[in-house]
Amino acid sequence: MQCVSIVKSTGKNAKNLSELRTIISEVSDESIFHHVYQYFLKGHILEYTNDFAHWAGEHLEESALAERLTSIDPYTGEYVDEKVLDERLAKAEPYTHESVNKVRKELIRKIDDFLKEYPEPRDVVRGNEFYFHETVNLVFPVGVKAENLAEFLVAIEHIDAGSIYYHFYESRVRLGEGVSDDFSRWIEHTLFKKKVADRIRAIDPFMHSIKSVRENIKSIIEESVRADMEGVAD
Amino acid sequence: MIRQYSGIAPKGDLLLIQKLCEKLKGKSFLHINSTKEGGGVAEILNRMIPLLIDLGIDARWDVIEGDAKFFDFTKKTHNALQGKREKFTKDMWDYYYEVNRRNRKNLDLTADAVLIHDPQPAPLIMFRRKPSKKRKDIWMWRCHIDVSNPMASVWKNLKKYVEGYDAAIFSVAKFAKSLPIDEFIVTPSIDPLSDKNRNLTKKEIDGVGEKFNIPRDKPIILQVSRFDKFKDPIGVINAYKIVKKYNDCRLILAGSPATDDPEGEAILEEVKEYAGNDSDIHILMLPPDYHMEINALQRMADVILQKSIKEGFGLTVSEAMWKEKPIIGGAVGGIPLQIVHGFTGFVVHSVEGAAFRIRQYLNNPEMAKRMGQQGKEYVRNNFLLTRQIRDYLSLWYCNIHRGQNVIEL
Repeated sequence: MQCVSIVKSTGKNAKNLSELRTIISEVSDESIFHHVYQYFLKGHILEYTNDFAHWAGEHLEESALAERLTSIDPYTGEYVDEKVLDERLAKAEPYTHESVNKVRKELIRKIDDFLKEYPEPRDVVRGNEFYFHETVNLVFPVGVKAENLAEFLVAIEHIDAGSIYYHFYESRVRLGEGVSDDFSRWIEHTLFKKKVADRIRAIDPFMHSIKSVRENIKSIIEESVRADMEGVAD
Repeated sequence: MIRQYSGIAPKGDLLLIQKLCEKLKGKSFLHINSTKEGGGVAEILNRMIPLLIDLGIDARWDVIEGDAKFFDFTKKTHNALQGKREKFTKDMWDYYYEVNRRNRKNLDLTADAVLIHDPQPAPLIMFRRKPSKKRKDIWMWRCHIDVSNPMASVWKNLKKYVEGYDAAIFSVAKFAKSLPIDEFIVTPSIDPLSDKNRNLTKKEIDGVGEKFNIPRDKPIILQVSRFDKFKDPIGVINAYKIVKKYNDCRLILAGSPATDDPEGEAILEEVKEYAGNDSDIHILMLPPDYHMEINALQRMADVILQKSIKEGFGLTVSEAMWKEKPIIGGAVGGIPLQIVHGFTGFVVHSVEGAAFRIRQYLNNPEMAKRMGQQGKEYVRNNFLLTRQIRDYLSLWYCNIHRGQNVIEL
């Protein structure tokens, strides 16, 4: 599957930190979702992990605030097993946005803490305001199928960055708290290769670009496929 | 036709275009603007319409007609929407509506989706067919110009029409206005298959070098833009002069005449005078259809600049990046959206900053190559024509499924 996002303007923008805080507190879940979770879809640079931290660092030029906002982990919660996930899916729709609201509270808390310690930063230069967006997301099958790890290896090389995003990042919010990526779930529960799944699950989503997530997964799978071919026990 | 982009554009974009066309097969998609030739809008529609027809969409492109009085007025509104103060009378606005009303008689406005480009044909919304229980056409207004700081009265008059549409589309978030309708952001794009961007042979590139008497004996720094003060050609020469103290190089300033800018000629003279007798500075005034020549100049350059101090979107940046060239751009308009600072190029705020980054590139060819390659991939994923076609179709489809944030195909 792959996800393509069409950006929609909310018509809201902030020229300073107080305005940013106010709008964060009232803007839609979809907007917070876009600026935090979909940051990884934009070919991000690794200094930041969401649009708010990026803006604080690059336009507000408040490194201390940028560092704090960057440290917000939107993928909270303990890892849940497949049974819990099945139960969750049976009673609730995906994208419940429970975690989005936690992130919203955390953003406000970090900004409030910063404002207690530091003076209010100046307004940004005109044109560099923070523009709040939402997205409409189109999800579609890319027609690439894998039935074993060797086929998966070919597929992971072939698919677009948008598809890696969908299965590695968006899965975590689509299926709710405590769920990791789609790849490791499939490898563990369909191919029963728990060790390989655990290694993929251990790839830190914040410390890699989509390109390097792809490279990491490839090398883990390659190693496993080679070991299988050589008859080395898992 | 879409096969031509296979191996060039992202697979997902091509796939989504095909999937959306399957869903929308047989439906009609009408585009209306005010010119068949010249400008980025016509360039995109020329490519897009046949491609959509090929994929089963009943796509049409019509142009409104007007006299000199009408186009004088729309030129003035164009300037005023970009912040210039102009004088308007009620008669002018009445005439604007009247010309659109007359055009309505010659145009077939019946279509499932209608995309109106820019302010000239905006009043056509007044003549949309009435929705029935079974059918509701979708009308979208596409604004290609920077309306972030318009003359208030002009925007107020135009807004009356814009509010009648189902959605408005802007190129950059900061151009979007406060409107009671849905507003989407769709960035412009370049066509990788056009003469301006297609691959060229070494012979073609060398031929252009010879045509303009440009020796290839030292690194070439290039800026392609109109001779306009907002493109800061004098600043580019100053940056070159700083670099020249450390690294021997050539500078090419290539552009076409700014016909709608009375200051254009004066700026060109000023630039020539400022360049003086330096035989390493080449000032090239090119006809507007010299696309292949511009392409060749970009491909022979070692560093490309777009040191604007005011800019709309600045697609010359994406053109340079598509050719894997290390790029330096002013931090204005759409330039920072294309250049991820330190990753796909450098964004600068001064002459000194531009000079420093040129020296960095010239002294670190490995870094320049890496950033050029990253730039090309960034353009591939974000600024190719196929992405813009994908977005227009997506917007149409999203409007049919209004209210859903996640749409599965």
